[in-house]
Amino acid sequence: MAETANSTYALDMRAVSKRFPGTLAVNQVDFRVKKGEVHALMGENGAGKSTLMKVLAGLYGDYTGEIFIDGVKRELHSPEMAKEFGIGMVYQELSLARRISICENLLVGRLPKKNALFIDKKKAIAEAKELLARVGLDGLDPTIDVSEISQCDAQLVEIAKVLGSKPKILVMDEPTSALSSEEVQRLFAIIRNLKKQGLAIVYISHHLAEIFEIADTVTVMRDGRLVDTALVSDVTTESLVEKMVGKPINSFYAEHTGEISGEEVLRVEDYTRWGFFHHVSFALHRGEVLAICGLAGAGRTEIARSLVSVDRIDRGKLFVHGRETHFRDFGEAIRGGLGYLSEDRKVVGLALPQTVEDNVLSCVIDKYSRGILFSARDEEPLVQEKIDEMRVYPADPMRQINSFSGGNQQKILMAKWLAADVEILILDEPTRGVDVGAKQTIHEAIRRFAAQGRSVILLSSDLPEVVGLCDRAVILREGHVIGEIPKAGITENSLLIAANGEGEYVTCRKS
Amino acid sequence: MSEKLNTAGHEPEKTDERRTEISKFSLLFNRLGIYVVVILLILLGMAVSKGQFFTAGNVQSILEAVALIGMVSAGLIFVVYAGNMNDMSIPMTMALGGMMTVQCINFGFPVALLVGIATGTVIGLINGFMIGKLRANPIIWTWGFNLLLSGIARVTWGGKQLYADSIAKDTDFAQKSASAFYSIARTYIGSFISLMAIVMIVMFAISWFIHSRTAFGQKLKIIGTSYDVARFSGIDCTKTLVLAYTICSVCASIGGIFFAALRKTASYENGTGYDFSCLTAVLLGGVLLSGGKGSVVGAFGGVLAYGILNNILSWVGLDTYSKYLVQGIVFLFIVWLNTYSNRKLGKA
Repeated sequence: MAETANSTYALDMRAVSKRFPGTLAVNQVDFRVKKGEVHALMGENGAGKSTLMKVLAGLYGDYTGEIFIDGVKRELHSPEMAKEFGIGMVYQELSLARRISICENLLVGRLPKKNALFIDKKKAIAEAKELLARVGLDGLDPTIDVSEISQCDAQLVEIAKVLGSKPKILVMDEPTSALSSEEVQRLFAIIRNLKKQGLAIVYISHHLAEIFEIADTVTVMRDGRLVDTALVSDVTTESLVEKMVGKPINSFYAEHTGEISGEEVLRVEDYTRWGFFHHVSFALHRGEVLAICGLAGAGRTEIARSLVSVDRIDRGKLFVHGRETHFRDFGEAIRGGLGYLSEDRKVVGLALPQTVEDNVLSCVIDKYSRGILFSARDEEPLVQEKIDEMRVYPADPMRQINSFSGGNQQKILMAKWLAADVEILILDEPTRGVDVGAKQTIHEAIRRFAAQGRSVILLSSDLPEVVGLCDRAVILREGHVIGEIPKAGITENSLLIAANGEGEYVTCRKS
Repeated sequence: MSEKLNTAGHEPEKTDERRTEISKFSLLFNRLGIYVVVILLILLGMAVSKGQFFTAGNVQSILEAVALIGMVSAGLIFVVYAGNMNDMSIPMTMALGGMMTVQCINFGFPVALLVGIATGTVIGLINGFMIGKLRANPIIWTWGFNLLLSGIARVTWGGKQLYADSIAKDTDFAQKSASAFYSIARTYIGSFISLMAIVMIVMFAISWFIHSRTAFGQKLKIIGTSYDVARFSGIDCTKTLVLAYTICSVCASIGGIFFAALRKTASYENGTGYDFSCLTAVLLGGVLLSGGKGSVVGAFGGVLAYGILNNILSWVGLDTYSKYLVQGIVFLFIVWLNTYSNRKLGKA
């Protein structure tokens, strides 16, 4: 379907590439979207979808390749230019300013004016109503604040706002992540309506079921390349997952060989924090790497934060080594043998302007103090040992964190938790956004850690990582545990399908 | 995937050397630059005073002027270092420290002194609880609390100034403790080293020890850099912040007691302006306004520089109003420099 005249495509991207220092995030991608079609863009995290869409939004001026919009070649060097050429972006995070009225939000930057000083309020409200009607929000009063309407309505207002700039191409990045299933149906009705009006829609989502429902065409990306473009009617869940995952990865993620004894080190029962996760129960054994899998927003991080007492729980019990335990704060959890490597390295993981030494020792200040005295210098052998183990380069304990590369920072974060010397380590996305070398080092460290008879809970969106490292996977969906997959059953396909809630691949083994 | 492995996986990663160099320079400047400033100021002082700078009288007046700011700064550094910018309740902590001491002078000077320090301790604990436990905005809370304390002081004493010798009963014991109180600001060791200067130096030494040799200091470093990182490292942030505020207020009350002794009056106005002059001194010493960076040795240099600068302004013959102008300019300049090096350190 390649050799067609330009103008049948609303969007025609040819050999588009975007290079970041170290990686080619988008590699020679040809991406075409017809008028009046919903085109799904799929791929695992880091496959390059978002980067490609950011190029389209004009956020990366230094891309290479050609972009044609409605058959006319355009250079997209700034968000303003992209908007002018008819690209509308609906972002995952709602970008509405919340405390001002819907009307002002919709018409931000182009409020109709009576004269030099005053805004034509009547006209503004009329225009706002017109825009709202396009997304099925006829009844909504445009003068109320955005903070007073529901999440779903806010998402629709966001779409209305983008429609206000009269786009020819509408890009939606995970628009349903905050919506309930009924609200999703409302959104789909609106998308179908927009499609009829001739808009080209690019739809990014991890939910396979949604793709089959709403999209006409699907494009799969992997490792920055475009793998395939096909009609949705020609693909199946399995073939799509296979394309997203690719093949040769299993060989890279070596098998985990640690011995798992039956000894239970941690058990949670009926763990509930209303609104985040409900009635969660699972157990962790000595020497085991347990994955908690689920889509974004399934409640993984929230469970981890509650386990180490950063957040409160509403009900439920936590048993550590068979004894019911309640930690008052995170410090007590660490002393009780529970560590949590957080998801966001830069905000809550590492103190960037301080040295490696200060960071690696930050969990163990009390442990290594003599009375009130503490000297970071005295503990340097420990720091050196841990950063050597993590192969941090350069291995200088006195160097500031922000002079290291991202991969090395992540290794230092891992070193910090190795230094904490805990029995149970919860790792939240331990390899997000790092290069392959650092990833390998971190995986080896996780395996060594488990081989020492300690245990790991791994929360990761990186499916090959889960397959390569984990002995068992607990599947989480919208805050509920829906089943477990034993080692033998863990494949990328089974995980993806299970997390999407299509139960036939899940071997439930309730313990 | 395999392609990435070949290109990026096995060669050692490059770090940004240029950025490291900039950081090192900023750090060095932050740490020691102030002593270069001190030396330059001394040279300038020698020039404008026509050789009178190192006379006993002048050194004495510099030390006395610096002593009070120094005592308070030795404590304030912990609040700034913890990333809480400033303790706006310093003025009333100083004032109340002095007033409570004078009010209790009849129980003997040592008891009165302890009551004054205890006042500071209580203020510090309240500040620490509100900011460390309830996460009140540090500036707004201490500012408002300062106003409240000021109200309490005015209502309690009806806006009067307190004089130790008139409050003391007509007994030998009480009069002796009143004169002991006055004498603490007037005792000299040798010919021109005042007791106040020695107390300040001792306080700085203790402060240095707490800051760089204890677990508390190390925790404060992480908290000051990022409260969230500290929380996610299992550091007991509340306890640490309460302690930081308590140290700060204790130091301020000690400063206030000496202030009252030096002036021979204790009044609610005693500490006015010390919140900002001490912050200027601390920032001048290279402590970052956003926390987590800086040293007590540097802050000591900042205090010296601030004192010498004031002394030079007197030699030049500036009147009080113009002094305010110069102090304001210096403060703004220091805040700018602070923000600038913050950015260079990648923290702003």
